[in-house]
Amino acid sequence: MPAGNSDVYNIVQAKFLATEIVKTIHLNVSIVDGPSSNANRVLALVEYNSSHALFVLVSSRCPPVSFSDLSIETVVPIDQHFSCETEPVTEQNYVTLIIKYRQTKYEYNVEIGKESCNFAAELIRAKEVATDNKTNFTWLEKYFGTMNQSNRNSDPTMSDRSDFVIVRNEMAQAQTTNNRESRLKYQLKLRESEFTQIQEFTIFIGTWNVNGQPPSVSLKPWLSYDESPPDVYAIGFQEIDLSKEAFIFNDTPREAEWQKLVMDGLNPNAKYRLVALARLVGMQLAVMINNQHYPYVKNVSFDTVGTGLLGKMGNKGGVAVRLELHNTSLCFVNCHLAAHVDEYERRNQDYKDINARINFKRNPQAIKDHDQIYWLGDLNYRITDLSNTQVKTLLIRNEVNTLLKVDQLNQQRERGNVLLDYTEGDITFQPTYKFDLFTDVYDTSEKARPPAWTDRILWRGKGIHQVQYRSHMEMRISDHKPVSALFKSEISVIDPIRYRKVQEDLLKWMDKYDNEILPQVTVDETEVIFDLVKFREPQSKEIIIANTGLVPADFEFIKKHDEPFYCKEWLRILPYAASINPGEKCEIRFEVNLETDVENLEDILVLHLKGGKDIFITISGKCQKSCFTQSLSSLVRIQVPILNLTEDEWDQVRKNNTPVRYSVPRELWLLVDHLYRHGLKTRDLFESCALHEELIRIRNWLDYGSQDPIPGTPQAVAETLLLFLSYTKEPVIPFELQDICTAAANNFENCRQLILMKLNDIHRTVFIYICMFLQELLKYSKDNSYDAKTLASLFGDILLRDQIRNSKPQASRGKANFVYNFLVNDLSSSLLPR
Amino acid sequence: MSAGPYNYSYIFKYIIIGDMGVGKSCLLHQFTEKKFMADCPHTIGVEFGTRIIEVSGQKIKLQIWDTAGQERFRAVTRSYYRGAAGALMVYDITRRSTYNHLSSWLTDTRNLTNPSTVIFLIGNKCDLEGQRDVTYEEASKFAEENGLLFVEASAKTGDNVEEAFLETAKKIYQSIQDGRLDLNAAESGVQHKPSQPGRTNLNGDQAGVKDNCAC
Repeated sequence: MPAGNSDVYNIVQAKFLATEIVKTIHLNVSIVDGPSSNANRVLALVEYNSSHALFVLVSSRCPPVSFSDLSIETVVPIDQHFSCETEPVTEQNYVTLIIKYRQTKYEYNVEIGKESCNFAAELIRAKEVATDNKTNFTWLEKYFGTMNQSNRNSDPTMSDRSDFVIVRNEMAQAQTTNNRESRLKYQLKLRESEFTQIQEFTIFIGTWNVNGQPPSVSLKPWLSYDESPPDVYAIGFQEIDLSKEAFIFNDTPREAEWQKLVMDGLNPNAKYRLVALARLVGMQLAVMINNQHYPYVKNVSFDTVGTGLLGKMGNKGGVAVRLELHNTSLCFVNCHLAAHVDEYERRNQDYKDINARINFKRNPQAIKDHDQIYWLGDLNYRITDLSNTQVKTLLIRNEVNTLLKVDQLNQQRERGNVLLDYTEGDITFQPTYKFDLFTDVYDTSEKARPPAWTDRILWRGKGIHQVQYRSHMEMRISDHKPVSALFKSEISVIDPIRYRKVQEDLLKWMDKYDNEILPQVTVDETEVIFDLVKFREPQSKEIIIANTGLVPADFEFIKKHDEPFYCKEWLRILPYAASINPGEKCEIRFEVNLETDVENLEDILVLHLKGGKDIFITISGKCQKSCFTQSLSSLVRIQVPILNLTEDEWDQVRKNNTPVRYSVPRELWLLVDHLYRHGLKTRDLFESCALHEELIRIRNWLDYGSQDPIPGTPQAVAETLLLFLSYTKEPVIPFELQDICTAAANNFENCRQLILMKLNDIHRTVFIYICMFLQELLKYSKDNSYDAKTLASLFGDILLRDQIRNSKPQASRGKANFVYNFLVNDLSSSLLPR
Repeated sequence: MSAGPYNYSYIFKYIIIGDMGVGKSCLLHQFTEKKFMADCPHTIGVEFGTRIIEVSGQKIKLQIWDTAGQERFRAVTRSYYRGAAGALMVYDITRRSTYNHLSSWLTDTRNLTNPSTVIFLIGNKCDLEGQRDVTYEEASKFAEENGLLFVEASAKTGDNVEEAFLETAKKIYQSIQDGRLDLNAAESGVQHKPSQPGRTNLNGDQAGVKDNCAC
């Protein structure tokens, strides 16, 4: 980064998020084919999360002083579709930077130097690292929304944006808040007649080719010809300075001198203020306005176009000023077109070039888009096919109309080659060119050019009425006579009260619209009620979300304040977030799987629409009790299947208000006893997966009770036993004791002490009961193939299970070692409660 | 530079709270659409409305959250109070129970919003004078004792609806002007949106006139 740019660098960085790093910038960049004076673009290479993008920013001040001076014009992601080349411009001190993205091409002129070399190198480097086409550019989306509307519309390079997937996303989301201003402007324009009234303004247009003569005479005879003062003056000169200096450096003292004469020559019956002065070499255009109207002038801008030598030098061309007076946009163009009788086609071309290349910084940017256009100047069109003598003779005979028929401008206009749609008033004055200096005598020199109406004033637009069109013969210092035209022009003036009313109306309408384009959905059911939900017996219910709004709806279930997750642990939502297009529907499935002791399902879900409302969805359902998920201390207090208890009885049991009936839970005994009798010799007893239905049958058998034997194979019963022990409310070895147990695992006596001292009677009994069963199992290891280590690690994980379920089960050596002690040592009766 | 006529300078967040069936959604609808919504279904969730208003020449965008009034949603709707600059607390003048619950709504509001949140009490359905169950005086006294702004309004006729929303905004704007409301506090419920420079407008932005002028 060149020194001195660091301030600007910080300003550019401020335009982006802190995580979006501006790697390098380039100032004073202009668009190719734009006015070269318009070097108000800033290029910035920005990196986010190792993806790069090129930003083109327009700076309202050069250099920018605050980030608000910058607006984003173009964003180009740097990926495999991006390319960058430089092309030298012949005999210029700048190069063209050609940026291509798919089929879109952007060209910028940058000054040759270290800055441009570095910048181009950085771009190419960024492209090199972007080979991975999975780079994520979603971070750019927000910037497409900020690009101002006028740029989107006017920049031809933006017209074909179909390649930009990102842009499409942005539009699909209907980010209308950003263009609220444009929408309102547009609507106001449509309803303009409701809040404006027409007021007539007098506009004086003057044009004079002064032939490089020094400004030495009063202009009053020309500018103050009419008694009543006009409201607006637009005065154009050509050839105010024919010196080489003026031509090469576009700088001349004549500008101020002539302008002073203009100001002095304005109608003395009113006071005027200069609105804008534009000059290119010898062409000068000044717009003045009566002081009283000055407050209603706004958005003034000017531009100049050279069409002279090499098609671009300023010896010929045009200068233009645009402004808005009240609610009407005015454009004044002063031109000096190519000379010589035969060059009318060149003149037509100059006219086209001026139209094409004048580009105001304010909207509208082109000449043609203004409400009223006044075109003046030395158009240089001559009289064809007649000799000097013939012209002069006709003039003496006052046959002006015969001459006007062979006037090139009239001919070319008739053929539609120039100033199409423009109007010119009737010419009643003598040709204004070419006179001998200081006389009213047409050219007596050797060349003896035939007289011609080179100096003309035309107009285009609604409500323009010309009242005068004349030349001023008494102005004799030039070989041209000045011409002036007086117009009564209809200017649309805003009635502030009515304007306000329409504006309020529109704002209301837009508010309504803003509400209408909020995402809207309907949900077919906001109450999802599950049938009786049973332990590990999943159920699901569906609801349908329909997008009834005008824009895509992005929904997501969001967590409630103070809750860790968007739904309870027994619920799954599929999908929990998605996007629905207008008119489309999305089915959402709620899946319940009960693995803990829950009395009733109750949850309120918040279905959030991005940028819109929230809908509450209530989930409810009754749960069936089960011996699974209960605490050992409750279970040992019941002698009957759990579902045979009344609510009251169960309530008492849960509160431990009833006596302990069994030393181990009835269900545990039933399972172990069954295995003791039927499973000791079963190979891989604990390792086969039973059918889900089989497990449910066994669960029901335990919970409801039955006279029938256990409905299941020994393997299914064994799996049920593992499930039972895995889902008790507390593990057999409670969480808080697990660390000291595993720490003591390498010493049986310590383990024994722990069991004896720390575990309560119920848990201790259950633990010893299971270990004794496992010891029994090991007696048949030849048949069932189990050894103590395997069983210890299997049951270690269950008896000392982790607090967080679903965490990937991993055999803990400590837990296994702890249990191992009790599988290989004699479990003396001293371990059992006395 | 002041905001142009198209842009708003502030966003204020409002919540509307109160018992089920007092007419919260109808008030919102009347305010945003200028229409009475008959047979308005119960709000199951939080509806969202927006309108741009003007206070002291400033355009303000109101972002209004209309909450479900059902008791069973109370715990969930509490999370929407956060960051509200204005709270419209609504009861139904024809149903005393909705008035009796105000103190509980007020407690929630005080606990869950910040001290500068403007609370406006609205006695809705004042068009149903014949069925009145809560006198104006009584509610007015309650509002006074608790430092609340108060009107009786009708979402059906539109009476005082505009006023309630606008008065709340005025009060919030005053707090900003007085410096009582800290715009930088995350939960102030107000966002300031400085308008973008460089934009000119129909009302004659003179700053724009000179800058391209060579005079």
